[in-house]
Amino acid sequence: MFKKSMVVLISLIFTIVSFSVVFSSEGPAGNDRKGKYTYRKVYKACAETGEIESATPKLSPADKTMEQWKTIFEAKTFEEFGCKDNWAAISDSDILDIYSYFYHHASDSPTPATCK
Amino acid sequence: MKANTSKTFILILLAALLLLTGCVATQTTKTSEASKEDMSWMFPDIVDTSFVKTHVTVPMLDSVMIIDARPYKAKYVKGHIPGAVSIPFSEFDKKTALLPKDKNTLLIFYCEGLKCKLSHKSAKMAEKLGYTNVKVYAMGYPEWISLKDNYASISVEHVATQIAQNNTMIIDARPQKTKYDKGHIPTAINIPFSQFDILKGKLPRDLNTPVIFYCGGLNCRLSHKSAAKALEMGYTNVTVFAKGFPEWTKTYGVSNETLQVQAGEVEGSIELERFKSIIANNPETILLIDVRDADEFAKGSFKTAVNIPVETLEPKIKDLPDDKPIVFACSTGARSGEAFYMTKDVRESLKDVFYVEAQIDFKGDGKFEIKKSK
Repeated sequence: MFKKSMVVLISLIFTIVSFSVVFSSEGPAGNDRKGKYTYRKVYKACAETGEIESATPKLSPADKTMEQWKTIFEAKTFEEFGCKDNWAAISDSDILDIYSYFYHHASDSPTPATCK
Repeated sequence: MKANTSKTFILILLAALLLLTGCVATQTTKTSEASKEDMSWMFPDIVDTSFVKTHVTVPMLDSVMIIDARPYKAKYVKGHIPGAVSIPFSEFDKKTALLPKDKNTLLIFYCEGLKCKLSHKSAKMAEKLGYTNVKVYAMGYPEWISLKDNYASISVEHVATQIAQNNTMIIDARPQKTKYDKGHIPTAINIPFSQFDILKGKLPRDLNTPVIFYCGGLNCRLSHKSAAKALEMGYTNVTVFAKGFPEWTKTYGVSNETLQVQAGEVEGSIELERFKSIIANNPETILLIDVRDADEFAKGSFKTAVNIPVETLEPKIKDLPDDKPIVFACSTGARSGEAFYMTKDVRESLKDVFYVEAQIDFKGDGKFEIKKSK
């Protein structure tokens, strides 16, 4: 009985550890460096249309956690960013890059974005 | 009466026939006279493509010289029979030093096809100089290049033009680690001949895209073998830069140093060890741009770096020089990565642009610690 319990316990620990490892290495596989440039470019284009006053994006990756960005980007709910038309025109590949930029530099990521 | 009419008719017919034969005879005589006249400029010893092909070897034998008598810039540079030496007829007297010392060497002259007299005239002049084994490949370059398995060699100037026009794929057929990684022609990709079958997927999808193969110079066969394989695959515009990388470095020596910038694992990044080596040994061969803010730059940067904060970079991209590779740096790779993508976006024609994907801790006085990004 004790042996059985030990086996179950070890299996459980192994499963939990495996899941943690998998989830800790999760994240979008886009190009975060490119995403940063594309994100700023979107706002610059938006400012040129007069929809916003400043070309400086109002949201930074460090404004939310990885999980929060995951929810936003997976649901594609970009209202908070403003510049609706510009977001609608971004390709899926560019969206993935921007998502990678936000996710990998979120407030709880190993490398949170600074103001730069 | 009837008999008389028949006789008259036969006589008229015969007369007409005679007249006609006379005319033809006269015409034939005239044509043959004209031919004789035309043929007089021709060199008597004419050879065909198969003869030439048996004498095209890599490297070329000392006992054979194939000579392109066409103008250098207008024709030879853009395409010539592999191994051929350029001695334009107009410069024959000035360039006799290029001819072999041994007067028994087989000399094969060619130019732009049957109507081209340059090779014939050159051959005659060579005979006057005492060469005993002179031939003319009268069908010349047009015939050579029209045949399915043949390809042309090109000169270094044409390679540079093709790079500038950005419509050609340049392929370095040398081994990667020992050769390509140490320096290659700008924009060239690496398909070592030994791995051609594995890496041939790197070749362009469009079989009409011009492809140029090169390797380590006139004694190197790798580019020629690769070209033959590309022709087999159906590529229609295959050339070999036979003088290869040694000629490139000789002609564009300064930019050779710049070529040694080597891409890293991440798109756009410079290989870190190579970057460190450049900074330590020849930092003047790259334009190093620190894209951090001015106050950060003031506290310490690379000795040869110039400061253009990423926020102010965009309007200055059009004025960046293109004579050496540009490398962007910051402290994490975030701003330099942004600078890289901005430059590629704003000025696509700038080819040698990189950024340092690493953690850099600037210590002041040009000292720094650099670590690979996690």
